[in-house]
Amino acid sequence: MSSKVLAFINFKGGVGKTATVVNIGATLVALHERKVLIVDLDPQSNASLWLMRPDRWREHVARGRRSTFQIFDDALQGKNRFDFDETLVRGVVTWTGFTDLPRLHLLPAAVELLRIEDRIHELRASAIYQILDSTLGTQFKQYDYILLDCPPNLYSTTKTAIFSADNCVVPYVPDYLSLSGFQVLAEQIIEMREKFAPYLPGRRKPNIGALIVSHYRQSGNVFRLAVNELELSMAALRETGVLPDSAILLQPCIRHCVRVAESTSEHLPVILYAPGSIGAQDYADLTQRFVDLFEGKK
Amino acid sequence: MNYSDLASRLSQIGERLAKQANRLEGEILGRSAGKLASHLDRFEEQLESHLASRKSREVFLENLLRSPTSKKHLTIALLKKASREVCAKRLKSEDLAAAKREFIKLMHGAGKQDLAVEFLKEAFATAVRVESGGKDKALLQREFIRLGQLLDEEFAKEISSRSIAELRRVATVNGIRFTDKTDRQRLTTLVRRYAQRAAFNLPAARVPSSRT
Repeated sequence: MSSKVLAFINFKGGVGKTATVVNIGATLVALHERKVLIVDLDPQSNASLWLMRPDRWREHVARGRRSTFQIFDDALQGKNRFDFDETLVRGVVTWTGFTDLPRLHLLPAAVELLRIEDRIHELRASAIYQILDSTLGTQFKQYDYILLDCPPNLYSTTKTAIFSADNCVVPYVPDYLSLSGFQVLAEQIIEMREKFAPYLPGRRKPNIGALIVSHYRQSGNVFRLAVNELELSMAALRETGVLPDSAILLQPCIRHCVRVAESTSEHLPVILYAPGSIGAQDYADLTQRFVDLFEGKK
Repeated sequence: MNYSDLASRLSQIGERLAKQANRLEGEILGRSAGKLASHLDRFEEQLESHLASRKSREVFLENLLRSPTSKKHLTIALLKKASREVCAKRLKSEDLAAAKREFIKLMHGAGKQDLAVEFLKEAFATAVRVESGGKDKALLQREFIRLGQLLDEEFAKEISSRSIAELRRVATVNGIRFTDKTDRQRLTTLVRRYAQRAAFNLPAARVPSSRT
């Protein structure tokens, strides 16, 4: 199977980007025997802190050295200090003290990434876009999936992720504010693709491949109506060419589940922390659909 | 700690022990070495069994049967079908937990863990591929938007020609929850309200054409 590079983006915060990346990544490894790399590009380092204990994370990424920050810092300084093998975290440490899911790898983020946006404009636009692709492109080949966890904005770091990606996945919470933001996001991606086009010879242009709904509650009408409005909105955006015909809303919606929230404090994906929970079940079903979609089995 | 770290630690201890073996003595150290040796026996046994079952995919089959997908989609009927189709044997257990154990034993005995994994993965995948609603859904969603864009009089006229069954279909597809007791008037109010909302919440309030 060829590698699939997927950027998880949404400029709205709190929509479940990190939860989706961490839990789909872990489920791909645990139930589908895939090899997965999670690349944390968010200065908040939430994916890293979900999968690593804070003391271990702090030690690992001290001064940003063994983190994704180094990739961008190297580009700015014209240096080559980023060491993939040294930066890579293999598997997740369970309560036994030993690692599980050895085929789940993480390139952790560091808060130093915050400094990048202020300085990155020193580079040419084309150089910015290609930072991730040129540093990690060859490493990507050893994985089945590369999941890029982006910060909640559409600034340079996110642009580099979209440039490297085969497709974008948009995590979404079912409410009107997310809906209104979604149209802007879809339009922005079209704009970016146009800017990227000259630097992406022979490659498929990144586009929105799927939307994933999280924080869903089944009681009452509220969320069902909001998801319906999202589907209506997707149809309208397809009509105008803002959204590709192939973009789908991946089912099932991820229901709100306290065990998922709890699993962040245990630094484990929910499939390891609470495999019987509705959160783990929803992510397991969603991951099956994810595999169907991105491996062409739908 | 990961297993590579443990491996280097054991190598280092082994190397040190080999170099100093002739100089080691005393009851305290001896007792501790005895404990370590018996722990190592158990660990070696576990490791061998893990590696063997991993090679035969027994571990993956067990994990799959314990997985969230299995909790949601595995039934005793499916397990019995899997057993019949994969190794032409009937499961005797009527309780799911016991049937899982019996199934693993059976597949292991027949050396068909691989086929069992494939069968169950496909069955789970089929269970997950929920009905999308198809063409009808898209039509009823477009209809919903159109109803939301009508003026009050137009809407009243349009709705009066519809049966309650038609209204219910529009409501169901578009996420409106109602009960068997919901009467026509209430259902009409709900459809009107949420159709209007959907129409003005849509990007540029466009009605999707019949292209999709």
